[in-house]
Amino acid sequence: MLKFNNITKVFDTDIFTKSFTALEKVSFEVEKNTVVGFLGANGAGKTSSLKIAMEFIPPSKGEVEYIGLGSTRKEIFSKVGYLPERPYFYPSLTGREFCLYVGSLCDVPSKILKEVILKWAPKFRIDFALDRQIRNYSKGMLQRLGFLSTIIHDPELIILDEPLSGVDPLGRKELKDIIVEIHQQGKTVFFSSHIISDVEDICEKVIFLKEGKLHYEGKVDMIINKNLKPFSTIRYMRNDQVESIEVKDSEKQATIKELIEHNVNIISVNQHKPTLEEIFYKTKNDDRY
Amino acid sequence: MIDIKKILIISRFTLMEILKSKILYNILFLGLGLVVITFVAHQFTYGAPQRVAIDFGLGALSLSSIAIAIFFGANLLKKEIESRTIYMIISRPVSRVEFILGKLLGLIGVLTMNISILASLSLLVYFISGGNFDSLIGWQIFFIFLEAIVVLLVITLLSLLTNQVLSILFTIFLYISGYAIHEVSSLSFVLNRVWLQKAINLYDFVLPGFYRFNLKDHILYESNIGGANLAATLSYSFVYSLALLLIIAYLFKRKSLD
Repeated sequence: MLKFNNITKVFDTDIFTKSFTALEKVSFEVEKNTVVGFLGANGAGKTSSLKIAMEFIPPSKGEVEYIGLGSTRKEIFSKVGYLPERPYFYPSLTGREFCLYVGSLCDVPSKILKEVILKWAPKFRIDFALDRQIRNYSKGMLQRLGFLSTIIHDPELIILDEPLSGVDPLGRKELKDIIVEIHQQGKTVFFSSHIISDVEDICEKVIFLKEGKLHYEGKVDMIINKNLKPFSTIRYMRNDQVESIEVKDSEKQATIKELIEHNVNIISVNQHKPTLEEIFYKTKNDDRY
Repeated sequence: MIDIKKILIISRFTLMEILKSKILYNILFLGLGLVVITFVAHQFTYGAPQRVAIDFGLGALSLSSIAIAIFFGANLLKKEIESRTIYMIISRPVSRVEFILGKLLGLIGVLTMNISILASLSLLVYFISGGNFDSLIGWQIFFIFLEAIVVLLVITLLSLLTNQVLSILFTIFLYISGYAIHEVSSLSFVLNRVWLQKAINLYDFVLPGFYRFNLKDHILYESNIGGANLAATLSYSFVYSLALLLIIAYLFKRKSLD
């Protein structure tokens, strides 16, 4: 649905300072009906990539392709919803006016817009504030309003730049649930984050940028399985106390047998499963994932 | 292909946003204050109070319109880009040209409202003080409107090329010199030097000649101005505004919004 082909972006500052390469030959694809996480530390090039995708800045080399969304910019962008990082709004407008504004730009009739607002505003917990001026919104409320305005025209592809930043833990959970709900309706979601656990929770696929270069593109399950460690943790009950031991996989069967022979009640056997965070950041000197 | 509907939507919400901001009211109060001063001044004038009334009234109208054009024009794109509100709009099926045309049209709507209100008040004071109907006053009000549009386009263009403060300073400079150039061209010092005349003609051709929009002398001294002159000013404002619009659209289409 969205394809980056060899994108390079060089920012030229002025004649006295060296130009800066934000992205170098980055290629990846966001397939239809998937939730894809776009990971990387601050400054890795995520926001620059998304700005290129939205045509805010031109790439120095390469091209972005939208597959199956149309042939003209207007056709494509009427099926794309974009939420920028820390979205800004017109402070004197109310939340409802802003939603009607951006919705009408997408050619959605006002009657349908009102229905969409009625359906989604309570889910975003922003319905109570829709008639207030945006200048009175908190950071979290701005993020929720931004999210609502992003999906107001029922887009096929939703691109979110750090959608969960500035939201409290409960709010993060709610927004993640909404992303899952949107995906279940057949939409494609591509969202950037520097918080890996958020991506791990809801994404099937992950794209990882490091210093402007693509370092990993693939399924979340695949990378985790590939990095499984040959250790298991056995939890058991002895003398009314829960205890655990870590054993090598090769010794697992023998240890379980021995515990059973000693009439020990085994509670669980779990293979050690690394988190994405451990894979990407704790092995940051190792580029082999 | 430009979608007029999108331009109108953007202009409507731009107008709404500006009308809800308190800054506009400050400028309107300033204009109203000047009208009050007009009323007071004409009360103390011996001879031709209606002339003082219309002179002050048109001055107030011109000043407040130029102030709105400069103040809001300097912010029109700069603020959108710096505050990144523009991302929320042009990520929709809206072209950059439609966006800029919509923003400008919204601000022209604000200018229209300002001019309508202040012109009505000025005319009221003028007629109360015994002024007679003169079609030139109507033309002058319309020309103030056209002049404000040119100022708006000049500052929008400059704001794409430089920072906010410099764009305001350059526009004020161009506005003043756009009047002064006419006076300067009739000085004998200039008339005696061909190269200076050519330089002034070139300036007049390239940079805005705001003196063309000024009919106040004709109104005050009740001298006649031909229809051809009025048509020439109309054509000038149309062609000049169109040229500025094309340059603005070209630059904005290529502007990197990072």
